[in-house]
Order: sequence, then structure tokens, then C-alpha cells
Amino acid sequence: MVAVSRRGAAAGEGGAGDGERDAPERDKRERDDRPPTSAVVAGLVAGAVAALSAFLAAPTGGALVGLAAVGFLAGSLRRSHRVLSWAAAVGVVGIAAAGYLGGAVEPLLAAGVALAIAWDTADHGISLGEQVGREARTRRNVAVHVGANLLAGGISVAVVYGAYLAAAGNQPVAALALLLFGAVALASAVR
Amino acid sequence: MSDGTDDGAADDPTAADRTTERTPLRRSETARWDGVAGVALALVGVGVVARQPGLVLVGAVGVGYAVYARIGEAPEATVELSRTVSGDAPDPGDEVVVTVRARNVGDAPLPDLRLVDGVPPGLEVIDGPARTATALSPSATAAFEYAVRASRGEHEWEPARAITRNAAGSRERTTELATPTRIVCTPELAAGGDLPLRGLTTVYHGRVPTDVGGAGVEFHATREYHRGDPIKRIDWNRRARTGELATLELREERAATVVLLIDAREAAYAAPEPDADTAVEASVEAAGQAFTALLDGGDRVGIAALSPRDCWLPPGAGTAHAARGREALATDPALAPTPSEGRFYRSLWLRRFRRRLPADAQVLFFTPLLDDSAASLARRIDAHGHLVTVLSPDVTAGDTPGTGLVAFERRERLRALRGAGIRAVEWGDRSFPVAVAGAAARWSR
Repeated sequence: MVAVSRRGAAAGEGGAGDGERDAPERDKRERDDRPPTSAVVAGLVAGAVAALSAFLAAPTGGALVGLAAVGFLAGSLRRSHRVLSWAAAVGVVGIAAAGYLGGAVEPLLAAGVALAIAWDTADHGISLGEQVGREARTRRNVAVHVGANLLAGGISVAVVYGAYLAAAGNQPVAALALLLFGAVALASAVR
Repeated sequence: MSDGTDDGAADDPTAADRTTERTPLRRSETARWDGVAGVALALVGVGVVARQPGLVLVGAVGVGYAVYARIGEAPEATVELSRTVSGDAPDPGDEVVVTVRARNVGDAPLPDLRLVDGVPPGLEVIDGPARTATALSPSATAAFEYAVRASRGEHEWEPARAITRNAAGSRERTTELATPTRIVCTPELAAGGDLPLRGLTTVYHGRVPTDVGGAGVEFHATREYHRGDPIKRIDWNRRARTGELATLELREERAATVVLLIDAREAAYAAPEPDADTAVEASVEAAGQAFTALLDGGDRVGIAALSPRDCWLPPGAGTAHAARGREALATDPALAPTPSEGRFYRSLWLRRFRRRLPADAQVLFFTPLLDDSAASLARRIDAHGHLVTVLSPDVTAGDTPGTGLVAFERRERLRALRGAGIRAVEWGDRSFPVAVAGAAARWSR
């Protein structure tokens, strides 16, 4: 899949550079509306991290999350939000499977955040491609977007995992869930 | 982080006095994160049923993302836009580098800002997209540049479009940022070859040979000698042969009044390829050559456009008139590189045109002849006594059955016009003077 992505990137680069001389005029003027390379690469890396973490939790789940990462790549290249949504659904099922099979807490959390980042980056990349195109400068935008997502995920994990370590310990799972619903109610009230 | 962004105020003197007018367009939800809360709660549910704390925790993180998606409005695009062009009076075909600097003048950071510059429709972007996506902290500046190829005319930049999103990208807001920038591109008028005119002339001396006998250089006829005829014009050969006195009549050469009429209706904005020059462009270039050539020949020349917008330069002569004509051909909105808006009413236009046209004016009609109404207009003007010469740039391609049909119809129109006694020249590939020279050899007066 990396080879596919490289080929896509090379074609994009060629369109910007060599194409100016030999390509017909109209090809040049037509905007390249594929997602920017940086977004595709960042999404791929996050997808790989998600797959690896889920694999550490439970191999079956890891395989499904890996499938989801491939789906993200395919969705990016085909510029299809729907493919991305389906891939994200497969990834969630993979994480659910890994958790159901008794995966450890830490890799599951890492896989969850990485999956969210992978989907978010791929989807962001598609919208960037639609609105500004592949050849525009977008690296800072993508970096800030991924960073913000990572921050949100990190804070969530810190809060959740901290609460788990401090309060739950050996408490039943139901107590955790109740704690969570309390948090949700609080968040809705704030909104 | 380093892509053309520098923190801190950019002390661009031109940015200070230009202000950007912001027009909010719309706000919307992107619905990207829809369903994340449901997925999170489903994971929690599975975790509770399966007694797996890991799943519950992942679900809780999912709820965290749901909260993340809900916080924050899309920020207002508090952006001051300044645009600098490398030259505001380029020659046609020149590359003009446009640098756009966007500065966040608000107090809030813009985590996701996409800018699409409003490149004038008549200019073609040849290097780099006129778009960027970035993130701006307060008083930070982002810059991007692109190059356009200058084309004839006056080009005003349209408002740039700014799309801002909140950090999660769940809400977006579109704003128009208007910063006036314009370039004016006035081509030099190349002098074309000698343009043969038809025999409708003024009473002034010029260079169009007429059927009026008098003083001139070309033989016209002989007539009986009248007392007082100049000795130089007496036909001495005849006097020697027959003993009679006869006087040579020469063709009088007079000046003409010419109106260059350029077809700039929407139908005339046609080109053989999507990026090639349109027929209007070819017509204007040829009209420029004709304008210079005719003025140099001492004729009075005016300019008119067949367009929804009014364009009329009355026939005149002299240096000031030449400058006015050059400017009209370069920048008149009716002859802009993109079609004028509005409906074209043919009979209204014709009535006004005839009212303005001097009685002794002949018309050089530049039209691609892509529809019947151009041809019938030429015949109507000709029938009203203003001799018409049709000069038609060939923009038909003929590589598909459809374009082939258009080319065939155009040829038939040319044939019909010639049959009706209207002179017609066609040219392709930018060889207007060559085509005129070739046609001039065929034409008799």
C-alpha cells in the first residue's frame, strides 16, 4: 500500500513540475483535488500505530484495525468520505473485538486514540483537497489539526486512565460505566 | 511549521493603508464527528456486558472526542489580506507574480484557515495554486504566492474566500475578504499590412482609389478637353495621332471613414481548445492592426463592439485618437477577455449603431461567424449603405463531428456573404496581415 501511495505522490509532484512543459494546458489548469501528501502520510502513520497497538492487545483486533488503516488509505486516494466511514466502523469493530478478547487496557487506549487520529486526518485531508488542492501549502494546517486531535485524545486518555487507576482499581466494570455516565451528564450540562 | 509563516507583525507599508472588507457568508456544521458519541457509548455497553474495563475506557475516550467535537465555534476570519503584484501594468503574456499575505488581526487563534484567492476570470494561473491552508495564531502572518499570465484588459481581483473551522473541524464559517487589487494590461498595437477598403469614401483626400475622375496617379478615363484643363493632363499621344485635344482623367484618391466593429457577444467567445485564445481576442488583435494601419493611411477610424455593453469610439484621426483607440481596444469592458453579462438585444443595438454611424462610414466587421445572426447583421448593415467587409478569425476545430459541423456551417455563411457581394476574409493561426494581403490580390475595386 505504501507503494501505491508513493506512486500517487510521484504523480502529484510530476503534475506540478514536469507537467508544466509537456502536459496539455488544460491538465495544468485543472486543480489537483486529491488530499495533500502530508495528510495522507500522517493518516497512514496513525493507522499503522493503531493497528500495532490493537495487535498487541489482541491479534484478531489488530488485523481488523489494520484493515481499517488500509481502508483509510483507499478512502483518501478515492476522495470518498463514505469509504472512510466504513473503514472507521471496521476499526471500531476491531477495537471492540480486541477488548472483548481481553486485551490489555493501555494498548487498547493507544489504539483508540490512534484510530481517531487516522480517521480524522484522512477526512481532513479530503476536505483540504476539495477546498485548496494538493499543490497548495497545507503542512502547517495539517500539523495543527493532528496536534489538536492528539491533545484532545491525550487529555481524554489522561482523565479516563487516571480515574481508572485512582478510583476503579478492582471495582466492577459497572462502577466505571456509571462514572462515565456522570461525566457525560456533566459535559452535556456544560454545553 | 515553517511553510511561509512567520510570527509577529509584518511591517508591510502597503498592508497598513489597505483595509480588508469582510463579508460573512455562511456558517455550517460539517457533521464530521456525527455518531462518535453513539459509537463510544456502544463500546461502553459492550465493555459492561463483557466485563472488560479496557473497552469501557476506550468508550470513555470516545466520549472525550464527542465533547471535543462540540466545543468551540468556528472562529471569525479576522484576517487582514494584502496582495502585491509584481507589476500592475504588464504586457500581454507576461508572468505576474502575486503575493498574498494574510495576517490574523483578531485576538483568537485560527486553527484551520483556508484561503482561496479571487483571481480575475480573465487571468490564467500558471504557477502554484492561488490557495492555501494554514493556521494562524493572533498577529501571525502567512504568505503564499502564485503567478498569473497577463492578458489584455483591465483585471480586478474578486474577494478572496476564507474558510475557517474550529479545531475539531466540526463547524465551519465562510467569509469573503475583499482587498482591491487590479492590473491593467495594454498591448502595443502592431501595425498590420495595407488594408484594402471598399469604395465608400469621404470628400477628403486619402489613399482609397475611387471611381471619380480627377487628380491622382492611376489612369481612369479620357474625356474631351475643356478649356482650363492642366497642360500636364493633356493626352499628347492622342493629339499627335489624331490632332484632337483630350484630357486624361485619373482616379481620385480619397480618405475613408471606417468603423471597426468587433463581435463580442457571448457566442463569439469561442476557441478551438479550452485554453486557446478566443475569437474575441483574435478579433481585437486584428482590429488593433487595422486601426493603426488605417490611421497611418490617413483614414478616420472608429471602434464599436457588438456586445451587451456599450462601446463606441467615434471615427477620428490624430495622435490623441490613436491613444484613445488603443486604450479602448485594451481595456474596454465590452471587449473584456471574458463575456460581458446581460442580454444582447440585436434590433436595439442595430438602431443605436446606425444612428451613430456617419453616413459615409464603411464597416470592418470582425466576427468568428459562429451563428447566423452575425451574418445577417453584416448583410443588414451593408444593405443600409455602409459597405461591410467581414474579417473572420477561424476558431473552428473540426476534430469531432460536432465541431466539423460548426466549421462547415461557418464556411457556408462565408460563401453566402460573398455571394451577397460582401467582402470576406478569414484567417487562422494569427496571420491576419497575410490573409488580408492574399485576399486583396483577389479583390477588384
